Amino acid sequence: MKEEQLLIRRMLGGDEQAFEAFFNAYFARVYRFALPRLNGDTEATREVVQATLAKAMRRIGDFRGDSALFTWMCQICRREAVDHIRSRRRHLKHVVLIDDRPDLRSAIDALEAPEEYDLVKAYGREEVGRLVRVVLDRLPSNYGDALEWKYMEGSSVEEIGERLGIGTIAAQSLLARARTAFREALEQVFGAEAADIAAGLGA
Amino acid sequence: MNDDDIARVLKAAGMRERAPADVARAVREHLRREWREIVAERRGSRRRWSGLAFAASILVAALGLWLAALQPGAPAGPVATMAIALDEVRVKSGWLQRWQPAVVGQILAAGESLETGTHGRAAIALPGIASARLDHDTRVRFTTADLLVIERGALYVDAGIELPGDSRLAVETPSGLVRHIGTQYEVRLDGSNIRLRVREGRVEWRSNSGAVERGQAGEQLMIAADGAVRREQASRYDASWDWIASTTPAIDIEGRPLAEFLSWAGRELGREVMFATPEVAEETATIVVHGSIDGLTPSQALVAVLATTSVRGSLEEGRIVVADGREKIDSN
Repeated sequence: MKEEQLLIRRMLGGDEQAFEAFFNAYFARVYRFALPRLNGDTEATREVVQATLAKAMRRIGDFRGDSALFTWMCQICRREAVDHIRSRRRHLKHVVLIDDRPDLRSAIDALEAPEEYDLVKAYGREEVGRLVRVVLDRLPSNYGDALEWKYMEGSSVEEIGERLGIGTIAAQSLLARARTAFREALEQVFGAEAADIAAGLGA
Repeated sequence: MNDDDIARVLKAAGMRERAPADVARAVREHLRREWREIVAERRGSRRRWSGLAFAASILVAALGLWLAALQPGAPAGPVATMAIALDEVRVKSGWLQRWQPAVVGQILAAGESLETGTHGRAAIALPGIASARLDHDTRVRFTTADLLVIERGALYVDAGIELPGDSRLAVETPSGLVRHIGTQYEVRLDGSNIRLRVREGRVEWRSNSGAVERGQAGEQLMIAADGAVRREQASRYDASWDWIASTTPAIDIEGRPLAEFLSWAGRELGREVMFATPEVAEETATIVVHGSIDGLTPSQALVAVLATTSVRGSLEEGRIVVADGREKIDSN
């Protein structure tokens, strides 16, 4: 049985620690999934995330384990977000876009300019950065957190182990698995290696 | 990938957003109350049902044995859902394995077959992939949630963006197995020959004799009945792909960033999305789309959506170029 299915079983059995683990594992990720879909509206995001997680807990018996639990929650969240927006904008029935009238530069110069890295050219630096953050959220377990703590906050393996409530050796092993999963996910999503992505991002 | 590469990518991408502490606290408390209710309900429900469980289990076991004896090849669990059924689309199902008209929303089970007629086309949803679409005169059989057998016609698979752990659909043909590696592709049976066209990503072809070939985006593998494979260049966006537009599953654009819609349109049209400047790219991430594109093909949707913005798009060789909006794109 998968780790997340064990967690669900324990949580539905009334295990308080399992509830905490469930919340810690999914709240932040679902929040980040919902926020851009609700145009950065934090109050709407709170309502949608709350509804999503509550619905997920109620329907968790329907979760078949065909996909990751987080992927399943994203499906619920997407529907909740759409319902939320519709309930507040019932009068909008046709395509109407709100935009900021961007001050764009000439298309021609950029099109003719040689590009070193198509990914950034195609998606834009900000979008690639956003996708990397989405990849972190889609990694199993606490991999995303562990990678951020290690490589962005500079935490030691011991500190990561403490934050996760596991030993140093287990934290070391988790980091190794996280690196592998991250590398594979980047290659699948971008079709490029991290060094190329970093170069494209100007890092 | 070494530690430095990981650190560089992560630092360039920036920290993931954190929910405000008061929001996290409020949601946690709300959910804790909800969770306690669920646990209490489950405990109550378990007690109520425990007395009936024994009798019910005997009844179910007897019914199961009877059904198994009656129909040894009966279908197993659900594997797919009908998303779109245009004109003649039939499902072979039930104990008698009769062909019956397919209905949108219908659950398709292992052991069942789906068929389109001369004017029919269909799209199905399977776990772990974006969609699979059947051209006219096509028949597929569902084996498991990750294996489809194509018996005739053409099948288009859009795997969407996959991540480790996602299930990976394989398509079995009379002479071998097609497995994708994050991709969009078409398998078309032509008598005993097979044409395997890759629109995005890569696919792996494994013949019944064990030979393995890989196809890249923009390639097609022509596979003869004797196993000989000929590799050719193939367009990713010409008119031969148009048939899939009629079976494109609707997406919800309400409240989504324009950039996300453009990414979807690019994949559906087999074209890269290119922004005239980094500023345009950034701007499309901030533009929010409202409304619906139900009933529109991807190219019609592109026209409809961009028509209401200050950006414009033009279809150029293999690309959707997005720039400022003084001129609008022409529909295909």
